[in-house]
Amino acid sequence: MTQVQLFVTCLVDSFFPKTGQAIVDIFSHLGISVDFAREQTCCGQPQFNAGLRKDARAIAEHTIKVFENTTGDIVTPSGSCAHMFRHNYLELFEGDSLWHPRAKSLAARTFEFTEYLVDKLGVTDLGATWDGVLTYHPSCHTLRGINVDRQPRALLANVRGATLVDLPHAEECCGFGGIMSVEHPELSAEWLKRKISNLEASQSPTLVVTDAGCLMHIAGGLNRQKKQQRVIHIAEVLRNV
Amino acid sequence: MTNNLRTRIRQSIEDQTLQTALDNNAERRLNGRAAAFQSIPDWRERRQRAHAIRADVIEHLDEYLAQFIAKNEGNGVIVHRAKDSAEAINIILDISKSLPLRTLSTQRGKDKTLVPLSPVFRGRDLRGEKVLIAKSKSMVSEEIELNHALEKEGIRVVETDLGEYIVQMRHERPSHIITPAAHLKKEQVAELFHEKLGIPYTTDIPTLTATARKVLREVFLTADIGFSGVNFGVAESGTTCIVTNEGNGRMVTTIPPVHIALMGMERLVPNLEDLSLMLSLLPRSATGQKLTVYTQLLNKPLPDQTRHLIILDNGRTRLKNSPLKESLYCIRCGACLNACPVFRELSGHAYIGKDKSIAPYPGPIGSVISPGLLGENFVHLAQASSLCGACKDVCPVDIDLPKLLTRVRAGESPAVDDRQLTTDGAGLTWTTRFGLQMYTRIATHPKLFAASQKFAALTMTLFSPRSQWIRLPAFTGWGYSKDFPRFAGKTFRQRMENGELGVGNRGIENRDSETFQSSNSPTSKPSHLEQFSQELTALGGHVTLTKNPTQSIIEFLNMRGIKKIMLEPNTLDESLLREANIEFTNTPDDQTPVGATNAICGLADTGSVLEADGALHASLLPEIHIAVLKSSDILPSLPDAMKFVKDKNAAVFITGPSRTADIEMTLTIGVHGPKEIHVFVVE
Ligand code: SF4
Repeated sequence: MTQVQLFVTCLVDSFFPKTGQAIVDIFSHLGISVDFAREQTCCGQPQFNAGLRKDARAIAEHTIKVFENTTGDIVTPSGSCAHMFRHNYLELFEGDSLWHPRAKSLAARTFEFTEYLVDKLGVTDLGATWDGVLTYHPSCHTLRGINVDRQPRALLANVRGATLVDLPHAEECCGFGGIMSVEHPELSAEWLKRKISNLEASQSPTLVVTDAGCLMHIAGGLNRQKKQQRVIHIAEVLRNV
Repeated sequence: MTNNLRTRIRQSIEDQTLQTALDNNAERRLNGRAAAFQSIPDWRERRQRAHAIRADVIEHLDEYLAQFIAKNEGNGVIVHRAKDSAEAINIILDISKSLPLRTLSTQRGKDKTLVPLSPVFRGRDLRGEKVLIAKSKSMVSEEIELNHALEKEGIRVVETDLGEYIVQMRHERPSHIITPAAHLKKEQVAELFHEKLGIPYTTDIPTLTATARKVLREVFLTADIGFSGVNFGVAESGTTCIVTNEGNGRMVTTIPPVHIALMGMERLVPNLEDLSLMLSLLPRSATGQKLTVYTQLLNKPLPDQTRHLIILDNGRTRLKNSPLKESLYCIRCGACLNACPVFRELSGHAYIGKDKSIAPYPGPIGSVISPGLLGENFVHLAQASSLCGACKDVCPVDIDLPKLLTRVRAGESPAVDDRQLTTDGAGLTWTTRFGLQMYTRIATHPKLFAASQKFAALTMTLFSPRSQWIRLPAFTGWGYSKDFPRFAGKTFRQRMENGELGVGNRGIENRDSETFQSSNSPTSKPSHLEQFSQELTALGGHVTLTKNPTQSIIEFLNMRGIKKIMLEPNTLDESLLREANIEFTNTPDDQTPVGATNAICGLADTGSVLEADGALHASLLPEIHIAVLKSSDILPSLPDAMKFVKDKNAAVFITGPSRTADIEMTLTIGVHGPKEIHVFVVE
């Protein structure tokens, strides 16, 4: 039986455990067992993006050690954490003869969730159903960081009953940017406003994302503005039979 | 420091006029860019090649520079090297001071025929007024704050790019490296022209442009020095490439007796072939054009002209030896500014240093090289980014800007002086730094991590017992515009540990994964002539097929009631012209309405014609340019024509009539160069 390692990410773990649950369900149905390395915490992206490399390295070393003791591909429901493993860890350990090779083998095992389904397993139809309209927001690091776009779109296209509509200016950042949303709240607020008005223009009540960071950010903005639309991680759509 | 920046950001966001202008700029430029890239389906490979070329140049910069300098000296160009802005400014001051005093009789040779001389010109000479420099756009000159330094020394500097001219009159810095007045509405320009140039208030953009043409024409004709930047230097041939749409770049390099070109030392490509590749990417990225209207290639000074080339370091060597090296690959197209959501809220004026001075280079590339070249003062700019990667996506030389931004944040920009802070987390507020460091401790201790989750969940439930969301105060940053989710009652790991993650029953259908292939069906290819004609017409140029060009041109002139033309020798049948009572002259002047030249070749894919040496004035000064082109001389594309450039003093690829979009991004035809271009293609 194939086994995957789930790197669930700190956000899903702490705030959106249902997304993690959905992933476990989907994999079980595909006959794949999910292993969860308990020592995992966070990928260190907030520190890395803020420029705190020493801190980021400490977390990266921890994460590498945790997964070195496991087997199977590492799957994560976040394009930005996949990007962190695949690109930023290598940047962090550039020229480090001890850690760079270890970071490299971690990177080679890491996949974003939809990428894993489509590219590794060849699955584009999970038999999921949805009643109503959906629109998709390609998260920056999923789209441009690891070039994953057709995979989630292909999976959504096969959801029965769902009407997919385009999100205007979909490729624009929602304004999360990790620490930027705290360091530069004014900028973040403007983009969030634009994302929400584009969501309204799409007329879809539901926005699908591949990253819990965007989920938390956009949903938090919708809640503040007392809007009815909801944001959902793609795993929860795909799990819906 | 971050607070100054945040205040400035807030001001920009609240300025509705500015926001509209910036949205306009971003949208038009991005759409234009996307459309232009469709005509080069192999753009991905081109971009990788361009990256490799620039990487090679920067890696072997000393060798390429030595080659470039030697070639230029052989070509009769006076080369100077400046290690910093002070040196560059001094070189320019020295050149200005040692100018031969111009009087009517000692003007350079045939320029005596640049008559009738304007009263301004006579007066100036007789009174021995200030040295006048006509300046074409140069970001490097902004970097060294040249205008300010020259004016302090009593030199008059006039910016001649329409956008630059506008911001100079407003005593502002350019807000965009390609479109300097991108932040202004036409009403503001109208007000300015009314006030400073004394014309009746009008928001009609062609009228405003025509006014600038008239005023600046005087400047070109009377300037002592023409000053320009450099887009590319070609190491192998010593060629200097300068591109402009308005024609001011041609004016300042062709008309005044002295030309000074100022270039950053990194702006090289190995050879003309590599230059063609870069030229297929630069204008597409910058303005959505297949080729800039005037793509000039300067080898030797013109007769009676002195050319100085100043090669500036100003921190570039330091940058080259730092982790920010890749930023030197930049070709200053400005695409990353247009794509950047930060720039779109800010404009170039809000990128300010700790001392509140405006950074010379804005946008994503600016937030890397402003700190990279000028130091600590600008380091915090790199924190103002979500690292969304839109910049990298559009960069024609594929610079990994998000990576470089994180390097600046990590304190890896080179130290300019001892005051440099090379700590990581550069530009971060102390609260964020403290919070993140706490989090590091937690995230490296799994037990502490799990305990903190529980603790946080509990606390937040106390604060917000009913809602899933918590309203944090605005000062926390997050609370400024959104609510924060409550920690889950039971985290994923708890559920996992309790074995709660049950498995339902569902069948999974497995279909073949879809393939996404473009279905570009090959259509029948138009001939070179057809393509040339389509492209030029689309740009507002005119193409006439003829067996007898002189006859056709005479008909055209008669139709327009034109009796006199400036003529490049051996272009037309002169006896026929005489018979038709058309007066013609070979000496450049500013009054003749038509210039007729021979085109060396045409380019099918861009609708361009190549002109050189003897044709430079006639294709520039008059309002109408007529080019005679043999249909067999229409070549497929720019690389095919580079061979003709090598042995010329100076050459220019002309792609349509002179134009600008500097006021509200509105395309306006006819700035400094001809308003009309007519190509008579001889079958
Ligand atoms: S970094 Fe790239 S996109 Fe930005 S100005 Fe330079 S070349 Fe253009």
